[in-house]
Amino acid sequence: MHLDAFAVIALAGAVASALILIWYLVARPQLNRVTKLALLLGIGVFPLTTAGSGNYAGFEATKHREFCGSCHVMTPYLDDATDPKSTGLAAIHTRNAQFGKESCYTCHADYGMFGTVVTKMGGMRHVYHYLMTYRKKSLAEAKAEIHIREPFRSSTCRRCHTTTAPKWSEVGDHAALLKELRAGEVGCVGEGCHGPAHPWSKQP
Amino acid sequence: MSKWLRASAVLTLVALAMMVWSVLRPTPLPVMLAMSFGQAVGTAAFGIYGWVVLADLRRIRRDAKRAQELGLAEPAAEAAADIEPAAAEAAATKPPEPGS
Repeated sequence: MHLDAFAVIALAGAVASALILIWYLVARPQLNRVTKLALLLGIGVFPLTTAGSGNYAGFEATKHREFCGSCHVMTPYLDDATDPKSTGLAAIHTRNAQFGKESCYTCHADYGMFGTVVTKMGGMRHVYHYLMTYRKKSLAEAKAEIHIREPFRSSTCRRCHTTTAPKWSEVGDHAALLKELRAGEVGCVGEGCHGPAHPWSKQP
Repeated sequence: MSKWLRASAVLTLVALAMMVWSVLRPTPLPVMLAMSFGQAVGTAAFGIYGWVVLADLRRIRRDAKRAQELGLAEPAAEAAADIEPAAAEAAATKPPEPGS
């Protein structure tokens, strides 16, 4: 288990707060200035520290590939993405160090000022669908039903593949569709030229 | 007052437990519980604490004002606060003596 700095701060705050509160509940000290100050730390300062850093650690944890794969219907996606022999787009990009442990989030996060918020709201929708629909379904049943909600936007690909590199422009189809690609009228993956990012999921 | 503070302390411990669970086991259920229910419980606990502090400050101010009206020396804030919780509650619920 890897704990980042924010997780360590959250845990330290929780331990400090718990020690103060357990002391207060067990020893039942006089309600003097020292006790009030201790309670300010135990109920206010330390829990707020824990909440702030714990929330940040939680948000960061939701970006990790293991988090996405922790629902059983996502296991094949996780397995394929981390398979060194897989030639699917998702696996190829997961092997790129820039994507690291957050390869699912990097590609599926929305772009723009409110991209993170919109993505998190979309994640809540995933949890809702999982709890209401997919939780009791087998992998085979789920595979037939799971689909991307909207066509994958080319703007996500263009965050790295900027469409300005000479090598990229040398490809005839890229040059011919440049205007449509930049306008988002043509996709790269899915129904686009590069096919599905998780090709195994489209096989019968 | 001390009853409310104990309730606040217990609620804080519940919220902290959820947050620690989500940090140690960052899977959907713990993370969502910590960020929704845990936040609500923790906020409620802090709200109770804030309310108790405000009520305590008002009590100290009221006592000081009453002492001033009676022409008594103003009780030190520390002395007014340094009382057993049970005694403080008993004093708060005790009816005023006739003629006072």
